[in-house]
Parts: sequence; structure tokens; C-alpha cells
Amino acid sequence: MRPRTPVASRAGRAIPGTRAIPLSARSWAAIGATSVVGVLAFFWPMLAPPGSQVVAHAADAPVVFGALVPLLLGVTLSLVGDGAMGAKAVALLGVLGATAAALRALGAGIAGLEPIWLVIVLGGYALGAGFGFVLGPVCLVASALLTGGIGPWLPFQMIGAAWVGLGAGLLAGRLPRRAELPLLAGYATVAAVGYGWLLNLWFWPTATGLPEPLAFVPGADWATNASHWLRFNLTTSLGYDLPRAVLACTLVLLLGRRVLASLRRASRLAAFDAQPEFLEAR
Amino acid sequence: MSAVRFERVTIAYEGADRPALRDVTLEIPEGELVLVVGETGCGKSTLLRCINGLVPHFTGGAMAGRVIVAGRDTRTHPPRELADVVGVVGQDPIAGFVAEVVEDELAYGMECLGVPPETMRRRVEETLDLLGLAELRHRPLATLSGGQRQRVAIGAALTSHPRILVLDEPTSALDPGAAEEVLAALQRLVHDLGMTVVMAEHRLERVVQYADSVLVIGDGQVTVGEPAAMMAGAPVAPPVVELGRLAGWQPLPLSVRDARRAASGLRARLREVAVATPPARIPAPSASGGGPVVPLPHVVSGPAPIAATALTAGYRGVPVLQRLTLAVGPGEVVALMGRNGAGKSTLLSALAGVMAPSAGSVRIAGRDPHALAGRGLLGTVGLVPQEPADLLYATSVGRELADAEHTAGAASGTAAGLLEALAPGIDPDCHPRDLSEGQRLALALAVVLAAAPPVLLLDEPTRGLDYGAKRRLVDLLRQLRAAGHTVVLATHDVELVAEVATRVALLAGGEIVADGPAAEVVRSSPLFAPQVAKILAPGPWLTVGQVQQALAVPG
Repeated sequence: MRPRTPVASRAGRAIPGTRAIPLSARSWAAIGATSVVGVLAFFWPMLAPPGSQVVAHAADAPVVFGALVPLLLGVTLSLVGDGAMGAKAVALLGVLGATAAALRALGAGIAGLEPIWLVIVLGGYALGAGFGFVLGPVCLVASALLTGGIGPWLPFQMIGAAWVGLGAGLLAGRLPRRAELPLLAGYATVAAVGYGWLLNLWFWPTATGLPEPLAFVPGADWATNASHWLRFNLTTSLGYDLPRAVLACTLVLLLGRRVLASLRRASRLAAFDAQPEFLEAR
Repeated sequence: MSAVRFERVTIAYEGADRPALRDVTLEIPEGELVLVVGETGCGKSTLLRCINGLVPHFTGGAMAGRVIVAGRDTRTHPPRELADVVGVVGQDPIAGFVAEVVEDELAYGMECLGVPPETMRRRVEETLDLLGLAELRHRPLATLSGGQRQRVAIGAALTSHPRILVLDEPTSALDPGAAEEVLAALQRLVHDLGMTVVMAEHRLERVVQYADSVLVIGDGQVTVGEPAAMMAGAPVAPPVVELGRLAGWQPLPLSVRDARRAASGLRARLREVAVATPPARIPAPSASGGGPVVPLPHVVSGPAPIAATALTAGYRGVPVLQRLTLAVGPGEVVALMGRNGAGKSTLLSALAGVMAPSAGSVRIAGRDPHALAGRGLLGTVGLVPQEPADLLYATSVGRELADAEHTAGAASGTAAGLLEALAPGIDPDCHPRDLSEGQRLALALAVVLAAAPPVLLLDEPTRGLDYGAKRRLVDLLRQLRAAGHTVVLATHDVELVAEVATRVALLAGGEIVADGPAAEVVRSSPLFAPQVAKILAPGPWLTVGQVQQALAVPG
């Protein structure tokens, strides 16, 4: 596309936090409601009071939440942008989703090495919280389709990735320009480990054969289960979470500047904030 | 009823210091082919995008007045509600393709509009026949030639049966043959189907004779009228019109045929001049066109700049060049011409050292370019590829220039100085891909010339350039020649050849079939003769500038 005058004149202006998908109060409410259900889906084992009925349903919980979370996500995605997500945002989502899917095929989860986090963190950061919240699940679903990763874990991955994208988007415009990349790399590291630990929760309560101090104890108080969960994380999945975090951090540091530059250029060319305005002829 | 009506339309983009269009009122009747003319950045694309509502619904900005398209007001009808009456085709068809195969691409637009499957089938068949695409129906889009792709893009816009077709530079990037294909298809739509076509185009020499009316945009303001009347004052004009203006013909001819009929008097006058000053002394293209002086190093004479002997080269064992021999001396500007696939680009690759010859030898200034690397290669031969962006990797113009200076070991500011002379006023923070075609070519040239190679190779340098950018390129090439550089360019652009080439080599089937002084080779060919040569044949003149000089010689 050839540049038009308006684009050229916009070129110099820094865009601290573009909002490719603007969020209204209603969209925020939908994101909040979905997130509450998401938190419940992950943390019910700790939140359930000792001896409650919920514990008896430990085996069905992943299934129930697995069905509930995607439904809610669907509702939220349709609400985000108030039912009319712009064609430009959809196009950019498609491109980034496809990129993530291709990257997933490269990494294929070997020792947790998933370059997909680069796309979600930087995409969310460059294009805003609303976009990040949608981008996370889109990336995960697209890559799952490509790698055959569809299963009961996918809804949990989707909500986890949505939070990672949302968080990156919330950072937009709040980081000092100079320390932007190191701080983003730090966020990517924390997010990668946090995501891993969160994801452990979907199967941890139903996992069998775990030694007593690592296992979910039905009916125990939340402190016991929380400490068991932490131990479980440290002893089992850290081998996956750490390489994932190191890779995410390294990629952001190495490629962040260039990827951010091209994402910002795309967002500048798309002019997401451009609104048509009609005046009477003079 | 008019197909498109602009009523006092003013468009101002956010952040722009002046409106892109100012108080435009015009009417386009049904069944007309309207040509939109103007320099790059004058508001052509804005005007075209107003017709399908992309401006201002997609681009943002403030719009005053209104545009009525097929009875619908674009203020209240966003682009999706105009999709059934307006079809849009862009300059780069690849960028707009969605599907993989010709048939699927033709059906895609209808799928979006929810056309019933039986109707879709019928319309795909009709469109295939209408545009002569029937044999290509199952072909993957990626394997089509430029002209075929552009015809598929037009077909894809046609299947939803729009009443108005809007094209933004549909033939600028095409070679003459492919452009003919596309223009013939458009002619047919206008004359057989009564479709309204609005088209912006740089290559006026190709299209102006087909237009029913011409719309000239200058500085955001628009004037419309009969082609001949409008071209008389247009800021850009093809050679035939410039010659007409020089000779003062009324009405102004737009095609070679009309000009030839009007030119008998001019031919007689020029014949007298030619007798007084024999054809050999007809002034050659002047050394400088009066443009800015480009800071070029003078080339010290050494071994022959280019010597290719019995050169055979090709891809995957299939030879494209067959025992080709070419020697070029210092200060020569050689144009390689010939149809697509004749081996022009392959020859340039072999000369640039990008490709190893499978037999024979290439010597650039006495050295084998394929064996050179790094600064040695950069300082010996420079190649500007067909798509200049292929050379540009940095995220800003300034960084690109600094990188080029660093790699070439040139003094800081060398490349920046070259760019400033070639295309002044480019913002160094701008992304190279946000530049116009002409600016991008200037940047690629500055990057290549920073290493001061005595031999410069250009592949289709005028693709997509407007007349202004082309004039600056011609200036540069003349200055390079004056400084002793050797230039080889592969091109379809006969007007460029007439302006700058000292010699033309005609390639066919990987061999050189004709090689001689530019004037002799192009004048004798019906395909490669520039417009002025066709009008003034058998006279020796190739460009309007030469005619002007000849007439100025006291007879």
C-alpha cells in the first residue's frame, strides 16, 4: 500500500498504547465474569470448604469447567468490541494467530519450548488489553488445530493465554520507554512460569499415584492443598516451566525491538483509532 | 442517471495539515471509462476509495459533502453495503487474493455476499469466458503471470455484478503485453456491458486513448473533461501528448494513429532540419536534464567493465542463457529488451555474481563477480532488483542508509547525500516499506551506489514509477554515464530506453538476437519503438526532447 499523507504525518508520533479493540464498560464486565469463572475452574480445589459436596465431584470438575470456560470465552469474545470487532482487528488477529500456529509447529512443546509466548506477549503489549485478551485464545486454538492439541486441557490453556495477553495489554503505555524490553522480558518470564503452574491445576486434583505431600487431599483446608500444589509444581513441572520462561525471556530480549516495531507499524497503518466524521459542506 | 456523484466533497485525514480532496463536485455518467490522472500523492487513491466508502469509513478522517454511488449515500452506507455495486481492483493483485485457485478466488466475493450456489456457478462460468480465463480455471494463483493475475483480480470483482469498477493503477506494474491483455478486457466491459470504469494510472501512454473522460487531480482539486482538452493542461502526459503540445496540434492527439495523421507538416519540417544537420548529428540525449546533481565518484578507467564470454546459466539444470557473449565498455548504458522469460533477469544475476555460470565466464572489471564477496563485490557491481524492497531490511530509512555506509565502508553521510539528491525530503524515521515506489527505488539506488560500484545493473527500474520519478531516474542514469559508470538495465519501457540507452541488446531464447545503437534497434522494431519514433518514422527521432532540440537548430 502506498503511503497517504495522513500516515506519513502520523509516522513520528509515538503510540504508547494502541487499542486495536476498544473495551467498553460492558466488555470489561464480560472479561471480569469470564475471569471469575476461570479462577474458579483452576482454583476450586483450594476454594472448596472442607467436606463440601464439590470434592465428591473432583473427577467431573475438569469436564464441567472444560465445557463452561469455552462457552463463556465465546460470549466474551463476541462482547469484546461490542459485537462489532473491526475488520482490521480481525485481520490482524488472523495473521498473528497463524504466526503463532506456525511457531507452535516449530517448537511443538519440546521441554516446554514454545515461542508462541513471544506473539501473545508482544501482540498484547503493542495492540492493547482487549486485543491481547482475544489474541491469547486465538493463538492457542489455531496452534492446537495444527498440532493436534485439542483436548480437555484446551479450555484451560485458552483462559490462561487470555490472561497473559490481557496482562501484557494492561502494561501498554505504563512502561518507561527505555526499560520497556527488559520489563517485558521479565513479564514474559513470570507469565510463562505462572501459566505452567496454573495449567497444572486442571489435572492435579485428579492425578493419581502422587506421593502424599504432593497430592491433592480432598477435604483438607486450602493451606494444605496450596502448599501441596506448590511442591508439586516445584518438583515436577519446573523442568518444563523454566525452559519455557527462559525461552520467552530470551526471545523478547532478542526479537522484541523488531517485532514491536513492525506490530506498531501495522497498527499505525491500520489507524485503529481513526473514526469517520461527517460534516456539512461549507 | 449518473453512476457516481460527488457533491462538494472535502476529505481531511486526521493529523494532515491540508485536505486530501477539496470541494470536489463531479458526476460520472453510466457506461463511461474515466481515467484519473495526477502525480503521486495528489489524492488519486483517496478519490477512488471514496467511491466504495473506504474513505472515510475505513481510513477515518473528516468528510464534508456527500458521495452518491448508484443512488446510495456513502455517509450512511459503509463499504460492506456498497460491495454489490462497486468492485475494486488494486495495483498488486496478489495482495488482494484470498483463495489458492482461480475458480475459488472468483467465487469468494459472492460467498461473502451470500449469493446462492447455482447463481455462483453460473457467474463464475460467465466471468471465465468474459475475461478469457477458461483455460486457467484450475491453476493455482501463484503460477499465473502478472497480466493473468490482474485479470483474475478483475474477474473476482466482477462476479458480484457490480455496476461500477474502480481500479487503482491496474497496469503500472505490468509489462506491455500483459497491460494490453488487461486493457482489452476493460474495453470489453465498458463497450459490451456498459459498465462504469474509474481507473487511476501512471502509464498514460497505454490508457489515455481508451478513456471517455479524464479527471485531473492537482493539489486536492479536481477538473473533469474530454480527454484531449484535459491532457492539454495535465501535469503529467505521455510522449504523444507532449509532442502534440510542442507542435501545437489541435485537437491534441492521444493515440499514435491520430498523431501520425497530424504530423505530416512536422515531419516535413524535421526532414529539412535533418538535411541541414545530417541524422548522425541529431543531438544525443543531453548529459543532464537540469535536475539536482548527484554526488557520484568518477570512475577511473581500467579493464573492460563487463565481459561475458560464451555464458551459459540457468536454474536447476535448465539453461536460460545459451552461450551468450556480451562486452560493455565504460560509459555505456545498455538496455536489455525482450519478452518475459527471455533471460534478461538471469543475465543480470550472472553479471552481479548472484548466480554461477554453468559454462563460459563473466568478468566485471577483470574479476569474476561470483568469486567476490563482501566489500569487494559491492565495490565492483551493484544490482537493483525488480522489487527494490528486496534490498531493504532495516526498520527505518536512516538505519538503512547507515547500514549501507557501514557495509560499504563508505564515509558517513555518503548514502544519505545520494538519497537527498535522488529523492529529497524523505523522513529518515520513515519505514522503507511506507515509501512510494519512486522513493523506494531512490533508496535502493542510494544503498547500492554508496559502495561506488563502477558497474550498475537495474532490473525493470520503471515499474510502478510515475512520470516525475521516471524523470529523476533518467537524470541519474545520464549523470552516471557522464561520470564513466557502466549501466545495464533490463526493461520493457521503450520510452526509458529512448531517453537513456546508448545501446540495446535484444534477447530471445537466452541469446542476443540484435545488438546495436539504441536508435537503430528500437526504431526498426514495431514492438519496441517509442511513440515519438512511431509518429515520426522514418525520421531518426526518439524523444520529444530530441525533436525540440532539432527544431531549435537554425535550419
